[in-house]
Amino acid sequence: MNWLLRLKHWLEFLGGATDAVPRSFNGPGGWVLLAVWWMALVGLITLFCRQASKFIYIDF
Amino acid sequence: MIFDTFSYFLLFLLPAALLFRGVAPSFRAPVISLFGAAFFIYFSLTTVGGVAGAFCLGLFLWEALVSRFYRPGSALCLLGIVQALVILFVFKYWNFTAGLVAGPGTSWRWTGAFLPLGISFFTFEFIHYARDRRENRTEAGGFWEYLAFILFFPTMVAGPIKRYQDFLPTLRSPTRDWANDFERGCTRILAGLAKKFVVADCMTSLTQHLNATDIARAERWILPFWLLAYAVKIYFDFSAYSDIAIGSARLFGMKVKENFDWPYAREDITSFWRHWHMSLTRWLTDYVFIPLGGSRVATGRIYFNVLATFLVSGLWHGAGLNFVVWGLWHGAALCVHRWWTGLRGDCVPSTPVRWINWGLTMTVVTLGWAWFTMDLPTALLFYKRLFLG
Repeated sequence: MNWLLRLKHWLEFLGGATDAVPRSFNGPGGWVLLAVWWMALVGLITLFCRQASKFIYIDF
Repeated sequence: MIFDTFSYFLLFLLPAALLFRGVAPSFRAPVISLFGAAFFIYFSLTTVGGVAGAFCLGLFLWEALVSRFYRPGSALCLLGIVQALVILFVFKYWNFTAGLVAGPGTSWRWTGAFLPLGISFFTFEFIHYARDRRENRTEAGGFWEYLAFILFFPTMVAGPIKRYQDFLPTLRSPTRDWANDFERGCTRILAGLAKKFVVADCMTSLTQHLNATDIARAERWILPFWLLAYAVKIYFDFSAYSDIAIGSARLFGMKVKENFDWPYAREDITSFWRHWHMSLTRWLTDYVFIPLGGSRVATGRIYFNVLATFLVSGLWHGAGLNFVVWGLWHGAALCVHRWWTGLRGDCVPSTPVRWINWGLTMTVVTLGWAWFTMDLPTALLFYKRLFLG
């Protein structure tokens, strides 16, 4: 189950939910990875934003 | 929409966060309050409520003024709670109640009814402050500090529901690590937007079939997939919203408590509710369940308290009988789990049993979404088709 915990930690880090940097992220390569991740997110958002609908919990 | 608009980021979030970090500490609360007021007026005019909705800013100003007179043990705090409940009732439940009492065609209906932006959330923060001041669990803070608390726009519309005790220290001493805050905050916001657009909105092609016509015509095997798609959609939609709210607060150097913690990975319904919409669960526990007696009463009364708390939760989610059933559905599931835990004792379940527990929990939660997303007749039709063909 150790790999599951590591995956959870990575997902939380990539989602901005934790400040704790995964061990394998340290070093300059980590920041390159983060820049690529941001670009990927912006790309996905741009690609999919046209089908946007209202947030469920607004106006309720 | 709000959180997925350029105006939110360019007119409100970035200027407010930068100004907040740049001004002297005594101006921080006024900056948040003024931007919050502008945010409320702008999005009332452009999304919900219109001009009348924008005038509801007066509710915040009135609340901020009245709250200055709250004292420990004071009856005025109780009046503040009643006032918040009356506001919520008039805007959200008047027509529902009139329809129940006098029938659907009654002249008691408020034809121009509208919901002020974020009313379900800000009234809970009003009640929390009044109650905690009465119990002397929080300091009064200043006028601008309380106004900043209720008008803090990242969390104003749909939470997470804040506590004044948590908010005040972070308002007075926001973190000074700009680089880390902006990096983590922006990552959180981008991840939230991606969750919303890429996952939640993609589920709409399946969830749009959850209506009487499509359910009546559909093949039976497809029905669980539509409901499962809704389970995915509501989680990614609401947790994305919370991500953007928490990430936005981070740009101010302020930390807001988490609202979700892997709820669909939980192995029982009690644990699910401890990790789903956590700020609401905590609020309901502190301001409904415990005042009713909590779990320090006779067993039968505990079950009543759980059911009553989830009835309130259901009604808070919407003025409709389907939400009442949804609340009672979860209340009943929690009672069954409580009863079963009492029978079973403290034994540690084996791995296969844990998988079974997870499957059962997901089944109860997913079936429950039918009551949440469809009106009562449609949900009943869904169940009839699902189980009886």
